[in-house]
Amino acid sequence: MSDIRLFPNDDDEVVRGLRSLYAAPAGDSYWNELESRIMARVADVELGWWTELDRWARPAMAAAAVLLFAAGAAMFRAHQAEGDMAVENMLSSPAVPVSTAIRPALQDDRDARIRYLFGCSTQEPSCSAQSSKR
Amino acid sequence: MAAATAIELSDGMTASSDAKADERALVIAAQRGSSEAFASLVRLHQRRAYAVCRAIVLTHEDAEDAVQEGFLHAFKALDRFLPDQPFGAWLFRIMANASLDLVRRRKVRDADELPETIPMPFRDPGESDELRRRLNMALTKLTDRQRSVIVLHDVEGFTHGEIGEMLGIPEGTARSDLHHARAALRRMLKDVRSDL
Repeated sequence: MSDIRLFPNDDDEVVRGLRSLYAAPAGDSYWNELESRIMARVADVELGWWTELDRWARPAMAAAAVLLFAAGAAMFRAHQAEGDMAVENMLSSPAVPVSTAIRPALQDDRDARIRYLFGCSTQEPSCSAQSSKR
Repeated sequence: MAAATAIELSDGMTASSDAKADERALVIAAQRGSSEAFASLVRLHQRRAYAVCRAIVLTHEDAEDAVQEGFLHAFKALDRFLPDQPFGAWLFRIMANASLDLVRRRKVRDADELPETIPMPFRDPGESDELRRRLNMALTKLTDRQRSVIVLHDVEGFTHGEIGEMLGIPEGTARSDLHHARAALRRMLKDVRSDL
């Protein structure tokens, strides 16, 4: 506390005047009543649904963060396992002949188009001979 | 004599540290949800809290409102308070903010509703003598901040630093506000004092 006062003497009438103007109410009953009013307002806040919400907000956020992390980790691991399995399957499967790798349907289409271009059908023996000669 | 003083001092320090420990325990209990602990904190600090609010707002009724608002804010913000800090300083900052908010709201309301009315800041039915009447008038001539600073310092005994922290101004500004407020009061009350 500073010792510099409004006037040199602490008991100066101006300071006393200020103190009386700003004096807090005397009497315990006043303060007891004020305390009750404050606590009543606090109780209103305590009982509000938003307080309950507020109380649960942080644990809920933490739980959500943990869940998100766990889900992310699980997805990552599943994805990794899937990739590993695909590589493993590819490496372990027996060698396939090249001819079987061509889709028969595609080959049939191509033959039909060639036959159509050369103007013969598959039923004509000459046509089949021609195509075989070619 | 010196030994006795030393014992007194040490007793005083023990009492003060005991009070701090008690207060810390109350704060921790209140943070854990004990409304009895919070009521004890209210009981401990409400007079000083009222004094802080009263220095900033214009009327006793506004000071009461500000005290209630302040304690409500403190209750809501209690989980953010670190128990190792001084609770009083934290609480009085909240009280000062609640009071400044109230003053701002009153100003806006008065500007909206009664543009021509000059507020009568201090309602004191017991006021009779000339000095108090003139003191009231002189206080209305000070700025809100100057009035708050002089009351917090000269009536309530807060330091410049504490006042600066409460009002959100630098310590130097609180010091200069106090200087100007005193000079203005001296000037305005000079003739009254010489009459007395």
